[in-house]
Amino acid sequence: MAHKAEPPDGGWGWMVVLSAFFQSALVFGVLRSFGVFFVEFVAAFEEQAARVSWIASIGIAVQQFGSPVGSALSTKFGPRPVVMAGGILAALGMLLASFATSLTHLYLSIGLLSGSGWALTFTPTLACLSRYFSRRRSLATGLALTGVGLSSFAFAPLFQWLLSYYAWRGALLLVSALSLHLVACGALLRPLSLAEDPAVGGPGTQLTSLLHHGPFLRYTVALTLINTGYFIPYVHLVAHLQDLDWDPLPAAFLLSVVAISDLVGRVASGWLGDAVPGPVARLLMLWTTLTGVILALFPVALAPTALVALAVAYGFTSGALTPVAFSVLPELVGTGKIYCGLGLVQMVESIGGLLGAPLSGYLRDVTGNYTASFVVSGAFLLAGSGVLITLPHFFCFSAPTSKPQDLVTETLGTKVPLPSEGLGEE
Amino acid sequence: MRALPGLMGPRAPLLPLLLLCLLAAARPSLADGHPSASPFTTPPVREETMAKYSNLSLESHNISLTEHSNMPVEKNITLERPSNIKLICQFTTSGDLNSVNVTWRKDDEILETNYLNATGSILYTQYMFTIVNSKQMGSYSCVFGEKKEQRGTFNFKVPELHGKNKPLINYVGDSVVLKCKCQDCFPLNWTWYSSNGSVQVPVDVQMNDKYVINGKNANETRLKIMQLSEEDRGSYWCHAIFQLGESEEHIELVVLSYLVPLKAFLAIAAEVVLLVAIILLCEMYTQKKKEHSDDGKEFEQIEQLKLDDSNGIENNAPRHRKNEAVGQ
Repeated sequence: MAHKAEPPDGGWGWMVVLSAFFQSALVFGVLRSFGVFFVEFVAAFEEQAARVSWIASIGIAVQQFGSPVGSALSTKFGPRPVVMAGGILAALGMLLASFATSLTHLYLSIGLLSGSGWALTFTPTLACLSRYFSRRRSLATGLALTGVGLSSFAFAPLFQWLLSYYAWRGALLLVSALSLHLVACGALLRPLSLAEDPAVGGPGTQLTSLLHHGPFLRYTVALTLINTGYFIPYVHLVAHLQDLDWDPLPAAFLLSVVAISDLVGRVASGWLGDAVPGPVARLLMLWTTLTGVILALFPVALAPTALVALAVAYGFTSGALTPVAFSVLPELVGTGKIYCGLGLVQMVESIGGLLGAPLSGYLRDVTGNYTASFVVSGAFLLAGSGVLITLPHFFCFSAPTSKPQDLVTETLGTKVPLPSEGLGEE
Repeated sequence: MRALPGLMGPRAPLLPLLLLCLLAAARPSLADGHPSASPFTTPPVREETMAKYSNLSLESHNISLTEHSNMPVEKNITLERPSNIKLICQFTTSGDLNSVNVTWRKDDEILETNYLNATGSILYTQYMFTIVNSKQMGSYSCVFGEKKEQRGTFNFKVPELHGKNKPLINYVGDSVVLKCKCQDCFPLNWTWYSSNGSVQVPVDVQMNDKYVINGKNANETRLKIMQLSEEDRGSYWCHAIFQLGESEEHIELVVLSYLVPLKAFLAIAAEVVLLVAIILLCEMYTQKKKEHSDDGKEFEQIEQLKLDDSNGIENNAPRHRKNEAVGQ
């Protein structure tokens, strides 16, 4: 197949967006709606809720720590076979779980097996998406990530209905059939050869070169800090509302409103990220700072109208920073190394995610309310946005996004005169 | 006073003597029931019963009625074990209290004794008795007036079992635990029944490899059914047995075979295989089209080169001749 000079920015790329949309729905939507199964597991195995919730925690941990493996494999073999194999693994895990007779079986089948399946699907797909788009990258990523929010709306009632009709064994069997669609999504990921692919080498070379890449490391640190603060409000908003004597029904309604504004924020930020010239890292810093400030303001707002306004704003800005966070990476490391880069970033930032929620819970236990935990999570976000300022080309107002040819020369360390365009910015 | 039936009527001469004896005998039992001095006295019929059941607790319940109440007033009382009961009704009217007819009834059967007192414009009536078996449970009413009745009803019931209404769904070969729990009560015994058509049939507990009944506390019971088969599906009842009656709860058990979700699974898996095949075939088709169009382009290019070559050969010939002509 002939090497393309540039990402196509459309055409088959929109099918990749569709595939990524369904994959984020099938991976994260299933994970987020799994709480519906927990009640059944607690009753069926007569275990405590804390032990049952380990199932999802193991699944998420395996998915995030296994991301580099998925990336390395897709650098070598292309995303399509890796994602299809991941889909089969994820479905197999759920299938075996439907025969489980103890909680350990569920830890191994859903946590380990399905988790590794999910690790092989999500990261390679997002990386493949970044390779297909350059001008409209943020919009494409934003659209693909809306799958997470929409599927959370759809899957929770669907799983309830499955449970009431088939009980948990049959419901797991059918969720496994649902996860098989990941294989179909993987088939949509047509391999794309870009100009810089031969230059960047195999997975091992890429990993070592990434670990010596200054901006990449700083970006990883920034994302880890952001991740530590990012998940806290999702987990603790409901409890905070209850502390302020809100009724359960208005609180649940507020969460739905936050989810909707999150969706709108994703798409809007995706469009904005492509429309505004210059490094996307600046937009990421803007959204992160705004989210941090809003979080720090949460304890101050006591009136219901102020709380609703803050919650909607939080939903918008936190949704806005997700597609931009994924778009910064190709600008830093180039589309050739995107698979390995994304895998490493996911693995390291998961440490932040794992630490964030327990830290916040600990602060709440120590201080008695959520003021400290909201302020601390806001501080983490502001620290992350501070690190983002150190990224290259941050203050250049005229610099367009890096072209792939320039990144090839930077990687090789030699100046090779290229016929098509001169080296505009160095 | 003529309007009041009961002791004030034919037995009037004996009354003062009886009252004196009864007051003497009844004072201890009145004292532990009511600290304040009650204007009422205990009837002669229940002297022995009060002494026999003096170790039971005393429950006291009140209903207030006015002459303008449109709806009958009811009070539901949950009773688990035998107790002494004191029911008090008070009736407020603006008319003549002496002309009001007062009766106590149990399930529309008029009870013999009743006692009343009139203070100001409020008429008090009291009925005391003991409940020791299930026949004495039911509805006790105090009825004021004859033409326009005002009725207050006390309904005595055993504690009810509240359970989930969702059917339990299990698969063939699984084991299931049916649970019945009573919230704040402690039944004497629990029994389980299954359905055979519309008849309740006791569960055969002797089959130890099929049914196991146990309960951790006195207020709950568990029936574990192992090796489920399709015949085990249907309705199950757990009965909580109290001294004063029984209450039951209904549980629905549904047993599915694995084929039911398996068919759905296979259908969806087949759909996924079809999708993958369509996607890959489409891709191969578009690639072949591209190759053919590429071949077509190469063919045109070769044709173009051939035309150029032939033009060159034709041109060369005259030049060659010209050169030869020049060279001579």
